[in-house]
Amino acid sequence: MGINDVKDRFRQMPPGMNMDQAVVEAERCLLCHDAPCSKACPAGTEPAEFIRKLRFKNVTGAIRTIKSNNILGGACGVLCPTAVLCEQACSAKMFSDENPGGTDRPIRIGDIQRFLVEHSREIDFRPVEVEDLGVSGNIAVVGSGPSGLSCAAELAKMGYKVTIFEALAEPGGVLRYGVVPFRFDDDFVEKEIGDVKALGVDIRCNSPIEGKAAAENLLTQGYDAVFVGPGLWGAHALQENSTDIEGCYSSVDFLAALRNGGIEEIISEFSGKTVAVIGGGSVAMDCVEAAARLDTADVNLIYRRSYTQMPAEEVERIEALQHGINFYILHQPVEFLTDGNRLTGLKLVRTKLGEPDESGRRRPELIDGTEWDMPADIVIEAIGNKAVEESSDWYPGVKVDNRKLIQADPETGATSVPGIFAGGDIVRGPALVVEAVQDGKVAAGAIHKYLSDKE
Amino acid sequence: MAQKKPDLSIEFCGKKFMNPFLLSSSPVSNSASMVERAFDAGWGGVVFKTLGSDRLRIDHPSPRMNSMTVGTRKMATVQNVEQITDRPLKENLMDLLYLRKHYPDHRIIHSIMGFADKEWEYLAKMSEDHGADMLELNFSCPNMTIEGSGDQAGKSFYDIEHYTSIVKKAVSIPVMAKMTPNITDMTETAMAAKNGGADAISAINTVSGITGIDLDSLVPQPNVFGRGASSGTSGPGVKPIGLRFISDMAKDENLNLPLSGMGGIETWIDALQYLLVGASTLQVTTGIMHYGYVIVQDMIEGLSDYMASRGIMKLEDLIGATLPKLGKTELFDLDRQGVVEYNLDKCVGCGQCLNVCTDAGGQALSWNAEKRRPEMNENKCLSCMLCSFVCPVSGLIKYKAMPEGWKRDETIIRDPSLEKELKYEPYVHDGDPGCLV
Repeated sequence: MGINDVKDRFRQMPPGMNMDQAVVEAERCLLCHDAPCSKACPAGTEPAEFIRKLRFKNVTGAIRTIKSNNILGGACGVLCPTAVLCEQACSAKMFSDENPGGTDRPIRIGDIQRFLVEHSREIDFRPVEVEDLGVSGNIAVVGSGPSGLSCAAELAKMGYKVTIFEALAEPGGVLRYGVVPFRFDDDFVEKEIGDVKALGVDIRCNSPIEGKAAAENLLTQGYDAVFVGPGLWGAHALQENSTDIEGCYSSVDFLAALRNGGIEEIISEFSGKTVAVIGGGSVAMDCVEAAARLDTADVNLIYRRSYTQMPAEEVERIEALQHGINFYILHQPVEFLTDGNRLTGLKLVRTKLGEPDESGRRRPELIDGTEWDMPADIVIEAIGNKAVEESSDWYPGVKVDNRKLIQADPETGATSVPGIFAGGDIVRGPALVVEAVQDGKVAAGAIHKYLSDKE
Repeated sequence: MAQKKPDLSIEFCGKKFMNPFLLSSSPVSNSASMVERAFDAGWGGVVFKTLGSDRLRIDHPSPRMNSMTVGTRKMATVQNVEQITDRPLKENLMDLLYLRKHYPDHRIIHSIMGFADKEWEYLAKMSEDHGADMLELNFSCPNMTIEGSGDQAGKSFYDIEHYTSIVKKAVSIPVMAKMTPNITDMTETAMAAKNGGADAISAINTVSGITGIDLDSLVPQPNVFGRGASSGTSGPGVKPIGLRFISDMAKDENLNLPLSGMGGIETWIDALQYLLVGASTLQVTTGIMHYGYVIVQDMIEGLSDYMASRGIMKLEDLIGATLPKLGKTELFDLDRQGVVEYNLDKCVGCGQCLNVCTDAGGQALSWNAEKRRPEMNENKCLSCMLCSFVCPVSGLIKYKAMPEGWKRDETIIRDPSLEKELKYEPYVHDGDPGCLV
């Protein structure tokens, strides 16, 4: 396998639906009254409406519904865990005790949504336009992830001048650097962000707002309001400075490297190696899937709880199993094994499930005398993201909690500093793209109200 | 207990048909190599693609057809601009001889169309001389580009009677006249055929219609190099029209001719419904265009099992069985009323019932948003049945007859206070009682 062949496995996501498939799916929709799918969408993307429009051959209208409610509707169509959101609520879902008349399976809402957004590009139809409410004002947005893009788009639609400050080389935040490209590829990222830029939003990359009170200071530098949505780019680790060990990655660094020029280095480093990924969430699944595409010898997933307790979506877990990932469930890593500073493996202890913990899930307990050493050349810790250590310094006046998450009003995104609003993971902790989109929308409305009231 | 197999054979114009299922005269019966596949699949006979005399050249327009998709249902109706056969008569007759020789037990009906008296006579004789069991006179193709032919003749009582009598005088085999539905009352055109000596009537030929218009070129489809036309439309969408005309003719005691029914037959249920309103043979094209000859196997099996389940052993016992129950709307018993009844055990909570009842029905439903279930005020139900049509769960909503004397509530007056502004006076009818005689 040449480097380019391996790179190809990362470059593109699998194709979505075509028009015929989407129409067949829309035809199955029951066109519910007070549709549960629409109520279940955290960002109000209104599946019931866009599916009805597709059903009645109002294809451009369907695209308008998605994009005007959710500027990142394409990203959500691809990335949303629909099985626990809109599709979970779908009345057409499978026959079950709660749904004894159920037909077969839920409508593939996410796939239809993705199709319609991709179709909009095919027919060059861009329905979201600046409405110009006669407003004026400069808004700064910190971070070009889902919450920032959504907030920026909503404000730009109203007629505000919006500037996004992005620390990294390319815009998108978690859409680009937190998701593997074969789930959401560069081309799709570019096009989604293109829809935001088309509204006149100025996205400045390589422009970190860091240092003492840098975010707050924007208010004195010509900006009338600031939206803070930097996301969570710190990585939890099993032991302090674990990533200083040679061969040890955080999921944050690993996933970002796949998008950067770093991929060639990753390919040569991973080739032929045994990789262990620690964690049971969607990010861990992305990491094992990526590792499996890197011509590795073995990819082992290590999770301290049971299979059904994994936070990753069912489909992701099944896909990983199908791709030959070895699942070591009920295993707790207790030590990184090294030769000098070079990783050689993990010391694992088997666990059993005890009484429920504060999360309501049964707590994994170590089983004495079950220690064993798993050889590994590379370990990726995918056990959660957290706020960057110094992030609170950027906005010292803004109240944060002990995890350095910003305390913002859930109804408005307003922080303790007037004029500074916040949303996305930096407020919620690790959450969904679609929830960040909603935060951005909510904050945009609140910023508009804040500026209107000020006048 | 082993049950005797129902007998699907039928006698039609004195000829024995092994089953009532025939290819109709169309692209699906265009050649022997097609028809033999159909016979091998189980079809009992064929009305061969309409023969012409070669005097006037036939060119089919291109493209020949358009399909109307309804939702995901392809070919819900199909529109064609085909004419009669474009093959030389000699070649058609050779194919018909082949079929006659190899399929002696199958019924082979020659469809013919002349453009002049002598031509009808000639084609009739040619057909009889080459083994036709029967003739079908094509008075009904709506797509002919030759003036005065096809359904233009079929809309003229004179032409129908005249050409039929010419053919009857020329041959001794039974003659069936095929009728166009693009008229008002088929009993009249059929009677013209009977007056000319016709032994049977077949109907319906295609309904003249427009299935679509191309939105770029604004040309009706099929777009024949920049032009479109109203032309022959067929398929499931025309079944109600076919059943109507067949039943009209079957009920007409003066007509009293055997009928060959067609129009939208795809399944044994469609076929059975045509039999029930009086057809004794059945013809199919569009169903075959969509699915191939194989569908006859499901029609035969489905019909046989239906008959067996009801202890009906002979097909003829079904023919016209519905007619005594089919009449005019003025014969309805309007004193009896009913409502719909919901069994919500299997409700999925989609609320389509609520939508249709509120916007198109009696506004009899309210919505329990918490449970996502409809709640009905029986006294407002119109028994329109719309809710039962849109409900995704079969059998959840059923009709329930109410006891004699039951009356539903009057439709609600939106603002009763407007009564004081009324200038209303009741209608008083003096003199001639008009239509109530």
